[in-house]
Amino acid sequence: MPKSGHPIRTLAVLAAVAAVFAAVAVGAGAAPAKHAGTTISGAGSTFVAPLVSQWISPLGAAYGYELQYSAVGSGAGITSITARTVDFGASDAPLTPDQFTACNGCEQIPWALGATAVLYNLPGVKNLLHIDGPTLAKIFMGQITTWNDPALAALNPGVSLPSTKISIAHRSDNSGTTFNFTDFLSSASPAWNTQIGRGVAVNWPVGSGGKGSSGVAAIVSQTPGAIGYADIAYALTNHLHYFAVKNKSGKYATPGLRGMLSAASSDVKPAADNSLSIVNPPAKFANAYPISTFTYVIVPLQSSKAPDLKKFLFWAVTKGQTYGPRLLFEPLPKGVLVVAEKAIAKIHS
Amino acid sequence: MTALDLTDAVRRPFTGRRVRFGDVSLQVVAGAAAAATTVLVGLITWKVIDGARPAISRYGLHFIWRIAWNPVVGREVYGAGSFLFGTAITSFFALLLAAPLAMGIALFLSELAPRGFRAPVTALVETLAAVPSVVIGLWGILVLGPALRTHIEGWLHSIFGFIPLFGDPSPAGASIFTAVIVLTIMILPIVSSISRELFLGVPHELKEGALALGTTRWEMVRGVVFPYARGGIAAALILGLGRAMGEAIAVTQVIGGGVFIHANLFGGGDTLASKIAASYQGSTTNLSTASLVYLGLILLVFSLLANVTAQWIVRRVARKHGITRGGHA
Repeated sequence: MPKSGHPIRTLAVLAAVAAVFAAVAVGAGAAPAKHAGTTISGAGSTFVAPLVSQWISPLGAAYGYELQYSAVGSGAGITSITARTVDFGASDAPLTPDQFTACNGCEQIPWALGATAVLYNLPGVKNLLHIDGPTLAKIFMGQITTWNDPALAALNPGVSLPSTKISIAHRSDNSGTTFNFTDFLSSASPAWNTQIGRGVAVNWPVGSGGKGSSGVAAIVSQTPGAIGYADIAYALTNHLHYFAVKNKSGKYATPGLRGMLSAASSDVKPAADNSLSIVNPPAKFANAYPISTFTYVIVPLQSSKAPDLKKFLFWAVTKGQTYGPRLLFEPLPKGVLVVAEKAIAKIHS
Repeated sequence: MTALDLTDAVRRPFTGRRVRFGDVSLQVVAGAAAAATTVLVGLITWKVIDGARPAISRYGLHFIWRIAWNPVVGREVYGAGSFLFGTAITSFFALLLAAPLAMGIALFLSELAPRGFRAPVTALVETLAAVPSVVIGLWGILVLGPALRTHIEGWLHSIFGFIPLFGDPSPAGASIFTAVIVLTIMILPIVSSISRELFLGVPHELKEGALALGTTRWEMVRGVVFPYARGGIAAALILGLGRAMGEAIAVTQVIGGGVFIHANLFGGGDTLASKIAASYQGSTTNLSTASLVYLGLILLVFSLLANVTAQWIVRRVARKHGITRGGHA
């Protein structure tokens, strides 16, 4: 066999690339080298990332903490805190029992309140079209396929809707936003509830998947006729149109602060695992935006950094909340704040 | 021959009077490295089988062809069918596109290109192999996918739409077709650079003999170069296939996802590797984690099969050509 030098050289190049990547990966995983102050590291939800990144400099000023947050997605955040490679994880969906067991002594604490927007791309059509849960479920089940479907037209009298085909975009990774969205569809549509259900990932009957909020936003913004979902901050920063969604009182609510606060006041008694469900609240919460959610920080009950972690979390659920409204995160309601503070107090070294 | 002298020099210390320290330590270090690799492969296999065990005991072999993936807590069902299909179809088409292209590149660089041209182009082709897959994936999302969607997929669909392969294009080009193109680009450098080396290894006497008999260049390539390098090319293609089957990140970024089996190249899908990459992080239940590891086990088995097949082909061809090769070496 003719002896070949180049494949080996190629292999050497590949090996070098692999080595560089390994080095980067190790670097990313290991604790940072500089020790200006105490470092608090976290990973998880992209949803809450804009808020957390606002905290970095005031937190440094107040306590000298260096806050590092990787917006790798709720799923990856849970994996990281389970492996204890970070000090806290962040997830928009409450942990499942299996995840709690795996995390071995973790607790979840509600620490921010946000909303999921349903995005669409229809050139020439106004923002804030009307939609309700059952219609939305039919679209995502592939039963409504064009924008001028009678069901959509009936909800939007006076708006001329094009005959464009509806293209559906959803998350391909495990995501708390998906949980929030499918939680709403399950609550609003019995058909969705029996056939598909709620989860950080579901068995989508139609549509194409994008990785991360950015992946979904990319598909929606590039495709006329597309519909998708992402946190409201994403919709605003990417200048995407989003629906006003009908709540149980019959009102079409927008994913704004008022809508979130009204939804949040519907559940002030968290379950034993501190999770709160505020999706599609009862009619008496007249202004509620029905796809609102609390998002959670996940911390080990026993941590070598307990005093610093507690100080940081107390700050986050109190002072930290004031940075929320600008980014469309409604500050935690008082009842939830009490719950959060009680949970934080349980952390020990 | 120098090769012979070297062999003697290496052999002497072990058969001769004294044992040299350098030789012994080389023996030990190299042996330890080889042993570590074997142990590592064994441990990985064991760990993968162990991790997949809950899914294996729950589903058995039926898992392999069942078309289902429902991670919703309380109604979980998992199966590898659609991902096996996705892996097969993406790697098959990627290989189908890459093989003639790679042969063309290799022939051009070894036989046809002007001398001064060869080194830089060869280097460029090999640089392609060093582009990280996540970068190719990003380019796939932002540039390639939308471009294919607007310029190629829509056009093919409007003309050949009656063929199920060219169905309705999915939004933003997140499709099996985009994944195929991305994979083609990724396996091209490996296949073409190995093939180029093989073509260069064809003895000059044979090529010149053919030309002297009055063949055209193409006849020479077809009659001498290809037959001579056949086994190596097959092995190179199988290595490319292995790479295409195992690629995760770039495929995850462009393939669109979905638990479907359909003939439509322009629709979404998932491969074994892309499903693992997309769903492993934050997997919600123990069963879903185990099922993802089971997908990994299937992938491991197929990659091993591909490698073993490549080695078998090379060995078989080497044996068949034994006399010619022996004379050459």
